[in-house]
Amino acid sequence: MSTVTQDPAASSTSLERRGIPLGDLLFRGVAGAAALGATVLLGLIAWKVLDLAWPSITASGLDFVWTEVWNPVTDTYGALTFIYGTVVTSFIALLIATPLSIAIALFLTEIAPRRLAAPIATMVELLAAIPSVVLGLWGILVFGPWIAQHLEPWLESWFGFIPIFSGSPSQAGILPAALILTIMIVPITSAICRELFARTPRELTDGAMALGSTRWEAIRGVMFAYAAPGIMAAVLLGLGRAFGEAIAVTQVIGSSDSISTSIFAPGDTLGSRIASQYQGATTPLQQGSLLYLAAILMVISLVTNVLAQVIVRRFEKQRRAA
Amino acid sequence: MKRALTLGFALVAILAIALVAGRAEAAPAAKQDTSLVGAGASFPFPLISKWIPELGKAYGINITYSPTGSGAGISAITARTVDFGASDAPLSSSQLDACKGCLVIPWALSATSIPYNLPGLGGRLKLDGPTLANIYLGQITNWNDAAIKRMNPSLNLPDLKITPVYRSDGSGTTYNFTEYLSSVSNGFKDGIGFNTSVSWKAGVGARGSSGVTGVVRQTAGALTYVDVAYSIQNKLQFATIKNRAGKFATPGLRGIQQSLSQLPAKVTQLSQLKIVDPPAKAGNLAYPIVTFTYVIVPTASAKAADLRKVVYWAVTQGQKFGPPLLFQPLPKTVQAFAFREIKKIQAT
Repeated sequence: MSTVTQDPAASSTSLERRGIPLGDLLFRGVAGAAALGATVLLGLIAWKVLDLAWPSITASGLDFVWTEVWNPVTDTYGALTFIYGTVVTSFIALLIATPLSIAIALFLTEIAPRRLAAPIATMVELLAAIPSVVLGLWGILVFGPWIAQHLEPWLESWFGFIPIFSGSPSQAGILPAALILTIMIVPITSAICRELFARTPRELTDGAMALGSTRWEAIRGVMFAYAAPGIMAAVLLGLGRAFGEAIAVTQVIGSSDSISTSIFAPGDTLGSRIASQYQGATTPLQQGSLLYLAAILMVISLVTNVLAQVIVRRFEKQRRAA
Repeated sequence: MKRALTLGFALVAILAIALVAGRAEAAPAAKQDTSLVGAGASFPFPLISKWIPELGKAYGINITYSPTGSGAGISAITARTVDFGASDAPLSSSQLDACKGCLVIPWALSATSIPYNLPGLGGRLKLDGPTLANIYLGQITNWNDAAIKRMNPSLNLPDLKITPVYRSDGSGTTYNFTEYLSSVSNGFKDGIGFNTSVSWKAGVGARGSSGVTGVVRQTAGALTYVDVAYSIQNKLQFATIKNRAGKFATPGLRGIQQSLSQLPAKVTQLSQLKIVDPPAKAGNLAYPIVTFTYVIVPTASAKAADLRKVVYWAVTQGQKFGPPLLFQPLPKTVQAFAFREIKKIQAT
């Protein structure tokens, strides 16, 4: 036994000593350069964004973050409208996408017969393959008008007493943007959730059911508990996607310069404002301010990504302990 | 091992030779042509696309033009990363200073139309400047408003919310439209002002001419502004606009031409080319929302000779490609101004 395990190790050291120095060196070099390149690129991009945003950073400092103005005529800019739009659209998207994704994942792992599960899973994942610009186009031509003619009047008739659901329906606004984002993040989060549920040890749910719990109780008590941190990470990944999406949002959000209480009204997000106005920016301050928005977006995305990683790591640790 | 090494080297060598040879082969073909790179406004892009093959035939000059938007065009020529820029808005004095020796030359002329979506109206909508300004200021919000009814007594105006639609991206059309509204309404001038992008008070935004048109098509009660060539290509219904003579004018070629009739006999500076809302004596047909679009060239360029040729051709022979696209040929006085400016382009 011991000789068998020693042999490959010995041969590998001798191989190493014999060299393959070129192949090994080349491999190390390429891999190292790729890793270094990615890191350096991130640093360079971050530095350049800050560098280009500098005219705006020096002009308005941190006040920029909570100023609700975007006026190219007077050359005064602030980010509050866009931070609000980004947070609200992403939050609504998550609010709808999370339960929806969990439901899809549960259906695929627990309820659907295998013959049905595989094609449905593929279809849901294919939803993620629709280019965002196409989704946005569909938003302009089909989904937005449907929201304005059916969904928003219905919401207003039932929940109109809540200020965010009052106001006149519009085919371009915060709500259409949030729903488009929902469609974009459901495939991601549901795929991860499905993976998590499928990996839950069978004996845990079987044990719970053997102890007399119903199927739903087993799912709720065992599977959710087991997968919860993973679901959190999936949600945060979806959030990262929602924060960063620009083109599809630009097409359906209606581009307003101020915050409205109603989610039917037009708004704007950080990404969408950059996408729509960078090419037409005329003054250095406007360009700088758009890059300032980019810097804010990068910080927000970075924070959510780091958060997701921390949660995943904790999840891994927990599972190893279990 | 050695064999693998030599093989690797041989492969790299072959690849390198192939690359160099490929380039060498490609080089002579490009030699007799010269090339110019431009970027900027999307408004004149249909016209420039017609010019490019003609210029290739006439002078063997290869032109690449990217319709990235007026702002991007100004930035690019300021940084001299392109040979010429194009903008629908004349450069502001600070932009001119930043551009260090740039010439702004008018090279095309068109109008902005006001398409709307009102089913069952029973006729063509008439609007005037102050009413349009109030719609975009959010002060007139319904189609049955008295101000609109007064101009359209015969039309069946519905009790329907007005949805003004604007461009969310920077655009020369926005510049033209807001410049017009600012000149007819003090409320608009003080509340919003004019620029390639402004801070709108009412309505929804969409990206590009196709974006705003898309929203108007899908929303009953919406109206917007796009260049007239786009409106006609897409068969949009657009409003007639009241001019200073008190008549409702259409943005046809004659309407555009009459708005120019009040230009000075000798144009000496760009500011004289502001032609929105022309005076009453311009004529009954004069359409009030008309704009020049400009090419921006450096006074000193390594490709000065080609630039002079191209811009000269554009403001002379190139103009005849305009009318099918609803670009009105430049009037003589403006052409003369362009000629004087073209002479200032010098080789470095």
